[in-house]
Amino acid sequence: MAYRTYLMVCAGTGCVANQSMKIKDKLESEIRKRGLQDEVSVVTTGCNGFCAVGPLMVVQPDGIFYQLLKETDIPFLVEEHFVKGRLVKELLYTPPREKAPIPKMSDIPFFADQTLIVLRNRGLINPENIDEYIARGGYQALAKVLTLMTPDQVIQEIKASGLRGRGGGGFPTGIKWETCKNVPSDTHYVICNADEGDPGAFMDRSTIESDPHAVIEGMLIGAYAIGSREGYVYIRNEYPIALERLQVAIKQAREYGLLGQKIFNKDFDFEIRIVRGAGAFVCGESTALMASIEGRPGEPRAKYVHTVERGLWDKPTCLNNVETWANVPQIIEKGAGWFSSIGTGDVTSDAWGGSKGTKVFSLAGKVNNTGLIEVPMGITLRKIIFDIGGGIKDGKKFKAVQTGGPSGGFIPESLLDLPVDYEELTKVGSMMGSGGMVVADENNCMVDMAKYFLAFTQAESCGKCVPCREGTKRMLDILEKITVGKGTEEDLVLLEELSNMVVESSLCALGGSAPNPVLTTLKYFREEYEAHVKDKHCPGHSCRELIQYIIDPELCLGKGHGCHVCAKNCPDGAIVGETKQVHTIDVMKCGKCGICYDVCKFDAIHIE
Amino acid sequence: MVTINIDGKSVEVLEETTILKAAEQAGVWIPTMCHSEHLEPYGVCRLCSVEVVRGKRSRIVTACNFPVRGGMTIHTNSKKVQWLRQVIMELMLSRWPRVRVVKEMAERLAVKEPRFPSLERDEAEDACILCGMCVNMCNDVVKAGVLGFAHSGIKREVVLPFDERSDSCIVCGACAHVCPTGHIKVILEDYRGKKPEFTLGPKTPIYVPTLQAVPRVPVIDAESCIHFETGGCEICAKVCEPNAIDYSMQDEIVEIEVGQVLVSTGFDLFDASAMAQYGYGRLDNVYSSLEFESILNSTGPTGGKIVMKSGKEPKAVGIIHCIGSRDTNHHAYCSRVCCMYALKFAHLVRDRTDAAIYQFYIDMRAFGKGYEEFYNRLLDEGVTMIRGKAAEVVEGCWQGNGEPSLKIRCEDTLIGKFREVPVDMVVLCNAIEPRRDSDAVRRLFSISKSPDGFFLERHPKLDPTSTATEGVFIAGCAQGPKDIPDTVAQAGSAAARILSVIAKGEVEIEPVRAMVQEEYCSGCKICNNLCPYIAIEFLEEKKVSHVNEALCKGCGTCVAACPSSAMTGHGFTDAQILAELDGLMI
Repeated sequence: MAYRTYLMVCAGTGCVANQSMKIKDKLESEIRKRGLQDEVSVVTTGCNGFCAVGPLMVVQPDGIFYQLLKETDIPFLVEEHFVKGRLVKELLYTPPREKAPIPKMSDIPFFADQTLIVLRNRGLINPENIDEYIARGGYQALAKVLTLMTPDQVIQEIKASGLRGRGGGGFPTGIKWETCKNVPSDTHYVICNADEGDPGAFMDRSTIESDPHAVIEGMLIGAYAIGSREGYVYIRNEYPIALERLQVAIKQAREYGLLGQKIFNKDFDFEIRIVRGAGAFVCGESTALMASIEGRPGEPRAKYVHTVERGLWDKPTCLNNVETWANVPQIIEKGAGWFSSIGTGDVTSDAWGGSKGTKVFSLAGKVNNTGLIEVPMGITLRKIIFDIGGGIKDGKKFKAVQTGGPSGGFIPESLLDLPVDYEELTKVGSMMGSGGMVVADENNCMVDMAKYFLAFTQAESCGKCVPCREGTKRMLDILEKITVGKGTEEDLVLLEELSNMVVESSLCALGGSAPNPVLTTLKYFREEYEAHVKDKHCPGHSCRELIQYIIDPELCLGKGHGCHVCAKNCPDGAIVGETKQVHTIDVMKCGKCGICYDVCKFDAIHIE
Repeated sequence: MVTINIDGKSVEVLEETTILKAAEQAGVWIPTMCHSEHLEPYGVCRLCSVEVVRGKRSRIVTACNFPVRGGMTIHTNSKKVQWLRQVIMELMLSRWPRVRVVKEMAERLAVKEPRFPSLERDEAEDACILCGMCVNMCNDVVKAGVLGFAHSGIKREVVLPFDERSDSCIVCGACAHVCPTGHIKVILEDYRGKKPEFTLGPKTPIYVPTLQAVPRVPVIDAESCIHFETGGCEICAKVCEPNAIDYSMQDEIVEIEVGQVLVSTGFDLFDASAMAQYGYGRLDNVYSSLEFESILNSTGPTGGKIVMKSGKEPKAVGIIHCIGSRDTNHHAYCSRVCCMYALKFAHLVRDRTDAAIYQFYIDMRAFGKGYEEFYNRLLDEGVTMIRGKAAEVVEGCWQGNGEPSLKIRCEDTLIGKFREVPVDMVVLCNAIEPRRDSDAVRRLFSISKSPDGFFLERHPKLDPTSTATEGVFIAGCAQGPKDIPDTVAQAGSAAARILSVIAKGEVEIEPVRAMVQEEYCSGCKICNNLCPYIAIEFLEEKKVSHVNEALCKGCGTCVAACPSSAMTGHGFTDAQILAELDGLMI
């Protein structure tokens, strides 16, 4: 049954958390109330990406984008838009520092500068309905592979496309498949790594939430190429919606004969099992992940014998991440040439020679438009942050961007024109990683940021090898010392030495990359470390032990007339002063919580 | 075979050998702290990091698990490698400053004071350094799956499941064996295998059953061997070059039909802990004679050295005779062999140590060929003989340095004085006593016992090797305490008796024997259990009792007991006896 209008309500984790399901119910009841139920259909979709303005909804086919919806807005919205045919301006998106709202989704810079391959179906289909995926061309690539191509041809196609591992390593996918296929064994396994553990990253979760069949189709194609009959999806249990949608998708695929035996009536059997991870960061490491599937503690092992040769249960195993798998059907469908036309470098002679296709990033931190984006490789960081991301929040100054998750390095402003490319990012001390991107502004203390991310990796270290277990803890100790103002110049030298040692001698990539935030901040923001150490001063004003809140008497009395709000809110009772008089902060009592700073409407409180 | 270059030396090794093994072959030392030849390489200490150069690429790898490939150049001591090892060692030293293996390795790598103070510093000398060898041993080799790691990162520790004693742990001790710091301790009381019988200290599941056994063939105790519990380990099979280990062998019970039996089941040693005054089982360094024998043995636990529990040589040894023998509270008889072995002990102690030796005896019984001469020789060797039964052994200390000692209290009856003799070690001459299961053996063969509990011979003077049961002979301490020459003589005699019957080929039976008049037998079976020679059996098909004439001694017990007068003497029926009487009366 065709409808006049479709309301695509985002049901990604972020919007669901912001009550988008209630909005959906309200929409349906309001539409029914007005007798429009045969003309307007409400559809729940996967993550739309623009999480900063959720809960959100797109009106199709016009592409009108409504944002920051509240349940109370719905009756008015339905009345205005669907009965009277007028746009509700208050609910449209207005870019920061501009006045005119942008009604159409395709005109919003956040969406306009993206290139969608992996996320091509986001916001357009109901992820829990396989027919919608098929209607969008889904499973055609599988049909093509099974009916027209030999496994070797598939591998050649993937190799020619230049697709590289999106989980962070950037290993050429075609070579991985080929090596795995060529290991003689009665059983080969394929694994989809959906154990996304980076804080603030949700690329894989959203991909599964918005388009689970793309992942399944990718795995099917890979399994056919490698000669595997059994696949696993290792997904963390903290992703309930993704898990549920994946289960639904697998069930539907099985019902349609796309999983199971004699797929497309060809001699090809394939089954996917879901294994739920308990949330250990290190289980995203391939060998630890396989140990976890086998029921052993999730600890990595040395990979001198590659997992493509001896992986899961000592059988040749091909592990790729969610995003890599989701790229595969598109490459098969549209051809390696199309895919390799996007991105940097040349992969015809050297598989490591360039970065092709797109990369999904989760943009977070101090940018206006936080959310999920898919951009072509080779795009500059500046474009991502200032065009797609809409610049820094509250008009503050950009300081650094961290790419690649908690073990990625910080990239300073001078390198913002760096293209997004595996090798380029590695060269400056960061990495592609799985696609986390955290933006820091002038108020972020880089020492504190480095400490924060190191504290994460240190806590998530499995503790197996000495450098990672002992080394990261000692590094954290030194950073702690610096942020409380007890660091010495010698500590900086030790910190650097220790960081380099941990990188060089750790057993797995967790330890091998954990010091990146420290090393890059030491490299690009050494003056901040020195300020902490020498002047006992925190330039970002965020290290509690090194700052003081001070009330500017002129502003307090002149502008605020001694309004007394700060004193009322101070939990430590540290602010002295009567209404209509100058207030002062008792340094001895002050707990440096920053509440006064936040509540003062007259900017009379300074941090020094 | 591939050729590689280690520190400038060219070595030819098998492909896929690890760098560590190749370096060993080349005589190059690479430090390791988590490596054991019995385990798969674990690669966590990272001390064995080396620099591998192939073509233009150089990378750091761990030698323990990195397989060599042809044309590889390996630097085990480059500046970078030295630096990595140094920092790793600093990290370990700052966390475990007092663990011996850490200190030694630090010293060897010239690491002195760590630059990174550890907040998790563990001052214990036997701290766990998380090398993981115990965990891998338990899981991969033993396959018991008891030990594991808990927590992550800096909080990682080796634990038992739920931090509780695990039923799956069979106290095999493999974890403690590989533990480099002594953090794991085996509680012997929990050991579920065979307890040591005649040796001191723990016994491994593989052992030679008796000291100096000939041929020296070890056995595997299936009760304590881990392999039979978990299917794992098999280290013995791996190291046994002639492939002699066969795990499929089973215990078997063999039934052999024989005509005669020689019972020589030996003796038990009197348990001296029954005489609490001597401190056996309570005080250290108080030993029974058999334990001391194993200490003296060159294949024993101390390799034949006479040492105390502390590992030091004793300054004085006291040997107390007649423990449990010649004692009306325990055994009234003399054990006969103790005086002479006590003299032998004294001789060996004199030979191997400088200790003073004291013998506490009631009477010296050095009878037999050459025995008295040996006693006299001992007196010449300076062994102090104190005539008087020791009263008790107590703890004391040496005068002068105050080191702990034992004190033997006794009355020296020759000088008529009470004495306290300080010694470091006490050897008790325990009585020989019948074996615990001798009554069961006795019933099996219908042998009687004498008042002392030993098997009773048919005649103490005229027939000391045979028993009241035809075809059953006895020899050795099963018959009574005796030394080796006496046992050999008695056993030889018994063997000759057995052979004489075999040579003859037939058995003479007693003329007087019982017989069942089957028409009178009611089948009550009263006689069956009464027969001391197990000569009466019950014929189920006829429902009557039957006398085995070869076993019957004609004692008449069954005849007297038979309620229906069916049992009667063969040739001695009531009618026959009455007829004979009648004849006499005429």
